[in-house]
Amino acid sequence: MLRGHGWHAPWMFAARVQVFPALLRWGVTILLFAGMALLAGRFYCSLLCPLGLFQEAVHGLGRRKLPGYRRGTPLRYLVLAAVILSMAAGSLALFNLLDPFAVFGRGSTQILKPLLVSANNLLASIPGEPSRILHHLPAAPVAGTAFFSTALFFCALGAWAFLRGRPFCDALCPVGTFLGLFSSSPLVSVRFDADACIGCRQCDQACPTCCLSSRDLRVEHDRCVLCLSCLDACRTGALRLGTPKGNEALQRRGLIRTAFGAAAALALSGIRNRWNSPALSGASAPGPAPVSPPGSFSHDNFTSRCIACSSCVNACPAGIIRPALSAWGFAGLFQPRLDYRFGYCQYECKACTEACPTGAIEPMSLEAKRRSQIGRARFEKQACIVVKNGTACGACAEHCPTQAAHMVPYGGSLSIPQVDTSLCIGCGACQYACPALPKAMTVSGLRYHGTARRPWEAEEGPVVDPLEEFPF
Amino acid sequence: MNRREFLKRSLALAVGAGALALPGNLGKNLGAAAAGPVDLAAVKGGEAPEMFDRGISALGGIGRFVSKGQTVVVKPNIAWDVEEALGANTNPALVARIVKRCLEAGASKVYVFDHTCDLWKRSYARSGIEEAASRAGATVVPADQGNAYRKETIRGARTLKETRVHELVMKSDVFINVPVLKSHGGAGLTMAMKNLMGIVWDRGEMHSRGLHQCIADLSLLRKPDLNVVDAYRVMVRSGPRGTSARDVAVRKAQVLSTDIVAADAASAKIFGTEPGAVEYIRQATELKAGTMDLDRLRIERISL
Repeated sequence: MLRGHGWHAPWMFAARVQVFPALLRWGVTILLFAGMALLAGRFYCSLLCPLGLFQEAVHGLGRRKLPGYRRGTPLRYLVLAAVILSMAAGSLALFNLLDPFAVFGRGSTQILKPLLVSANNLLASIPGEPSRILHHLPAAPVAGTAFFSTALFFCALGAWAFLRGRPFCDALCPVGTFLGLFSSSPLVSVRFDADACIGCRQCDQACPTCCLSSRDLRVEHDRCVLCLSCLDACRTGALRLGTPKGNEALQRRGLIRTAFGAAAALALSGIRNRWNSPALSGASAPGPAPVSPPGSFSHDNFTSRCIACSSCVNACPAGIIRPALSAWGFAGLFQPRLDYRFGYCQYECKACTEACPTGAIEPMSLEAKRRSQIGRARFEKQACIVVKNGTACGACAEHCPTQAAHMVPYGGSLSIPQVDTSLCIGCGACQYACPALPKAMTVSGLRYHGTARRPWEAEEGPVVDPLEEFPF
Repeated sequence: MNRREFLKRSLALAVGAGALALPGNLGKNLGAAAAGPVDLAAVKGGEAPEMFDRGISALGGIGRFVSKGQTVVVKPNIAWDVEEALGANTNPALVARIVKRCLEAGASKVYVFDHTCDLWKRSYARSGIEEAASRAGATVVPADQGNAYRKETIRGARTLKETRVHELVMKSDVFINVPVLKSHGGAGLTMAMKNLMGIVWDRGEMHSRGLHQCIADLSLLRKPDLNVVDAYRVMVRSGPRGTSARDVAVRKAQVLSTDIVAADAASAKIFGTEPGAVEYIRQATELKAGTMDLDRLRIERISL
């Protein structure tokens, strides 16, 4: 699954083990995550969640002392309920704003990647022999609003994490709260040894979610992210990671929480199954239809399963998959689309279909991708150079990989493009190459992707026809 | 003249003398063999690298074009992210052979690049040219960044009076143009002159301001010292990108000339089109960029 993806491989592995992407892809796997939380609490938050690791790292820079135990805020349940309700109503917008994996993904493409690209290009601009090792990289696919909102989010989150540890994980994260529902009394978790504790409060000051109280010798497991900072802080060995000792039993509140969690999990599974009916999905905004990536099959499938994590944005070598503010309507905030102002979909490439963790874009063979109709070209004759200026052009047909756009005679020695829509796959090459302003060739998305006919019946080899006589 | 060059020239003369002996070519070549290197060499029937070796001998050997210590740009067509079998890009073995001969002639550096249409990395790789040229010792450089292109004035141009051109083309001592012969939806045919669009930053401008005139104008800027038109695999329809190998005819031919217009005229004929029917060939002749009248040239015809 991950071979042949080069430096994308670690990212793609991380993407495969995230709670909500797995839910969107396979539905029932959410029960698996719930089961694991019953066993070992929110280990996910410190082991697999990239945003959790990020906050941990930022806080580690300052190592500031933390305030100690605070009661958990009920806000987290409201956030989770709002997310589930809005998902049930067919919108992923709220979820996409708060899901740690999606947020981190946008952070990578909108902030981290542009920084790395700029650094590389700065080095590459040092005069000298042209080389391809430190070659200028094309600008990262930064999109206005997605960039500003992501930058704002990360500034706020960074400051919050620096000063207070992981309050986001405790108070806002819908994934953490969901897993917390199953983590009231996990089999394995952080536990106090009352005899060894000397009451020094080092552990209180180390806990990034303020869920541990050395006075009561108690850890609120549903808020504990298993970062194990407290174990590191404890000098007497009074804290340990282990199974319950003695008579620690499942409490009534824990049972109620678990019941709520099971209900939420079932609701989410149910919602996910009902997404297959288009009636629930978000309607597209007015205007020319956006183009969804190959492998997404329909706009409904795409918008109801895309969490706007930007994995495909990152994978696209042409840099044309970009987060959209409103192309998919409000419900599809930051879900990406193909933007042919920046390039076109490369005929021999299927990188995006392999990058998606949620199944909003399904993997497909290159052969299938080459014939997947994601959009349709439209030729506006009056805008064409050939008609306007009376000179030859053909840039569109030149770039068209299937000859859907091809040239036909047009008076004198001129020829003019014509579009065979049964061959057109909507890759955008003709639109990008068209030198006319406004463009004579435009591509709009297809709500339901189709399959283009083969340009020929069977794969044939070349005609062997060696030159017999020199014709001059 | 060093020993290698002497041997090559002797070989060229021998080949010329051999051609003279053939009754069919007797009249046509009478003048050619007598006056040293020919204006144009046409080769058929061999593999692309060996056809180059025979053709370049007829033109006086590589030493006529490349001297010790000079920098060389070899400009193939690498426009598309497609396999060699589709004939959309120049034959990689041919590019490698040219690079090798340049280095043998003492070139200090041989650059290979093209301003591709598809993404450069993918096109360089799938065409096979990056690997073949690097292995032969070339420095293969990307040409996808605008800051490598400098504004140049084209003297004598009618429409494209100035445009941004890759700096290596202007800075290098020797410029060898290595196009592939193909059909072309917009321009009819693409060969030597059309291949120069790959040294220009803004191709869209050439398309929108009159494609044929701009192609003709561009041929005045930096006249290639040598044009080698690869007609081994010829894309006979659906060009310039092609859709499958069935668009290709294996013609096993090659045209070499110092005259870019003559190279295109001869290549057009090999394709089966009269040079006069290609507008940019006519316009380039009017601009005196070269001659399309093949009868007035000394031509060496080589069959392998």
